[in-house]
Amino acid sequence: MDLSYGPEYEEFRREVRAFLDAHKSVAPPAAIGLEGSPQVRDWQKRLVDGGYASRTVPRQYGGFGAKPDLLQNIIIDEEFRRAGVSRGMANQGISMFVPTLLQYGNEDQKLRYIGPTIRGEMIWCQGYSEPGSGSDLASLKTSAVLDGDEFVINGQKIWTSTAREAQMMFALVRTEPDAPKHEGISYLLVDMKAPGLTIRPLVMMTGHAGFNEVFFDNVRVPRENLIGRRGQGWEVGKATLIHERNMLGAADQTENSYIRCVDVLRDFGVLDNAVYRDRLMKIAARTYAMKFHSMRMLTDRLKKRPPDAAALIMKLNGCQLNHDIAKLAIDAMAETGTLKRGSRHVRADGAWQNEYMFQLGLIIGGGTAQIQKNIISEIGLGMPREPKAARGASR
Amino acid sequence: MDFGLSDDQTLFQSSLRGFLGEKVPTGRVRTIMESASGHDASLVQQLGEQGVTGILVPAEYGGTGLSLLDAAVAAEELGRAAVPYSFHAAAVLAPLLLAASSNEARKSEWLPRIAEGRATLGAIVAGPEVRDGRLSGSASFVPDAAVASAFVVRCGSGPSAQFHVVPRTASGLRVEALSTIDDTRRVGEVFFDGVAVDAGTNLEIADASAGFERALDAARIVLAADSLGAAERSLDEAVKYALTREQFGRVIGSFQAVKHMCAEVFAEIEPLRSLLWYAAFAWDERRDDAPMMAALLKSHACEAATEATTTCVQVYGGMGFTYECDMQLWFKRAGYNRQMLGSPAALRELAAARMS
Repeated sequence: MDLSYGPEYEEFRREVRAFLDAHKSVAPPAAIGLEGSPQVRDWQKRLVDGGYASRTVPRQYGGFGAKPDLLQNIIIDEEFRRAGVSRGMANQGISMFVPTLLQYGNEDQKLRYIGPTIRGEMIWCQGYSEPGSGSDLASLKTSAVLDGDEFVINGQKIWTSTAREAQMMFALVRTEPDAPKHEGISYLLVDMKAPGLTIRPLVMMTGHAGFNEVFFDNVRVPRENLIGRRGQGWEVGKATLIHERNMLGAADQTENSYIRCVDVLRDFGVLDNAVYRDRLMKIAARTYAMKFHSMRMLTDRLKKRPPDAAALIMKLNGCQLNHDIAKLAIDAMAETGTLKRGSRHVRADGAWQNEYMFQLGLIIGGGTAQIQKNIISEIGLGMPREPKAARGASR
Repeated sequence: MDFGLSDDQTLFQSSLRGFLGEKVPTGRVRTIMESASGHDASLVQQLGEQGVTGILVPAEYGGTGLSLLDAAVAAEELGRAAVPYSFHAAAVLAPLLLAASSNEARKSEWLPRIAEGRATLGAIVAGPEVRDGRLSGSASFVPDAAVASAFVVRCGSGPSAQFHVVPRTASGLRVEALSTIDDTRRVGEVFFDGVAVDAGTNLEIADASAGFERALDAARIVLAADSLGAAERSLDEAVKYALTREQFGRVIGSFQAVKHMCAEVFAEIEPLRSLLWYAAFAWDERRDDAPMMAALLKSHACEAATEATTTCVQVYGGMGFTYECDMQLWFKRAGYNRQMLGSPAALRELAAARMS
């Protein structure tokens, strides 16, 4: 066991600090939205040019072209967090679409989309889920039929974040209706301004319209917008879904949240209350367990060992823990724990109340907790899938 | 950056698991725990040959002088196999207190014998008092009380505490067995009726208060490791059973209700293992957060292990509740670990007090 990073990495850390020092006056604070104000876009460009965002994207596509190095990424994260400075835009285009395109896209597609996406000039939304296809995503029904040089799309997507801000969508659609369900799907890019496409905001219990429904009524998409081969879409989309799942429930934010929760308990005078202290220590143990667990996963990745079954629990445990931390903070606030953003007496402008509800959404989103448990029992523990009797019903 | 076990530790783990699987199957565990003494001297010697008893004994006294993280690896395996041996006392508390001593005579007398598995020392953490060179009082829940060669006795408390090594045969010392839910590690009550102690028996531990807390934390960490071992073995056995037992025309392990029970146990155990590794490492490195982590770990491990073994017993249905079913071994083992050296609630209170 060795928790130090070594001298060459400490040298790299000094470089990161020098960059942060030099850009103090223009760096936006850590908490920023996805929309991209002029300041955020300017910052995003500086990060890409300096190699602090999309660091490993090849130079010919507008990236920094660095070799993948997990420890360097961790150091960048640590130093930016310490400085309280934004890590740049973190939308699904950057985190999911660009890696997918690098793996499956052709040269034209890469040249056309990667540069604008990583610089924050092109916003993407993800068109995967459908009203009838949540946990069983591969049963999706939105169809794309080839008509000359265009695909014609009909159907509906749901839970689409940033659909109203996005210029483009990367979507999974059914192109081969007669193939087995996993083999009939293609990965298509859709212009959000295309005729026949409508967006309806979907309001969450938090009161925010973070999601949307997107309807396709004979929406025409050029054939060259296909990523990978026809019918290969499930494979293409799945490559980045795993990545998304690991982002949900990441441990570093949880520790920050725990530390802020201790402050809430102290400020509301319940830190010395035995019941609250007991609850807090239960949460502390889980928080640190997840922190060290993520260090264990990181070590596996550094040593190029395949992730073991223990990696499957990050999302399940992390989202639940974040939810429980927010719940403890709200309990400590007594009646004021019910107040909404904008109310008098509300703490942190309702951030904890929002977090409490939002994390419940994350327990469900990206694969429900129950689906996660199926995966853990099947992949981690070698238990059998449910018998196939339900197959006919799903499609 | 390397968080986890070294190659040597992984090798030690698999070889010890192999050894215990072959030499200490649950049949032998049952034979020993159902015997009058609950103790098998030949087993302790075998553990000595495997390097288990001397893991924290310094090399100059015949041990391997390894780290607490190595000891945690061993403890996890002993818990997995439900080995009838009080590792936390005989191989951790007693040798750590002896190793911290400046009484060369006592160290040379006991440490090599502990390392070889030829002596078992009980550890007494509270109870007796010294007055005019004589020990009086009693102590309960003393590991291996009936069979220990000697006891490392903590007399008094705080900075003025003394630690004496008292042979079990000392005049004025009497032992009565206590019967607990877990027969794999016996405890007893030890009575001191004017037992003579002197400079020869005094361990002369410098900074006795801090040294004792540190040794106690080490014992808590290995009890947590033992609980982890018990929990993961329960899960292994429960999953195996669920893959063979059929009801309603299919194996019960194909029902989501059963799969989710097992997945929940798995999701509790794995981060616990990561916390265990860090707590042991922090203790070894004397990090600032080590005392808090030891308390957090022990409380968390014992909660997780009692929940895990409770769930796994239920996977077996009614059979899980029988004496015949081996699940009782880990269920009771977790129950013993839970109460010893601080219950979960007491240790959460301690962790809060140790929070910086």
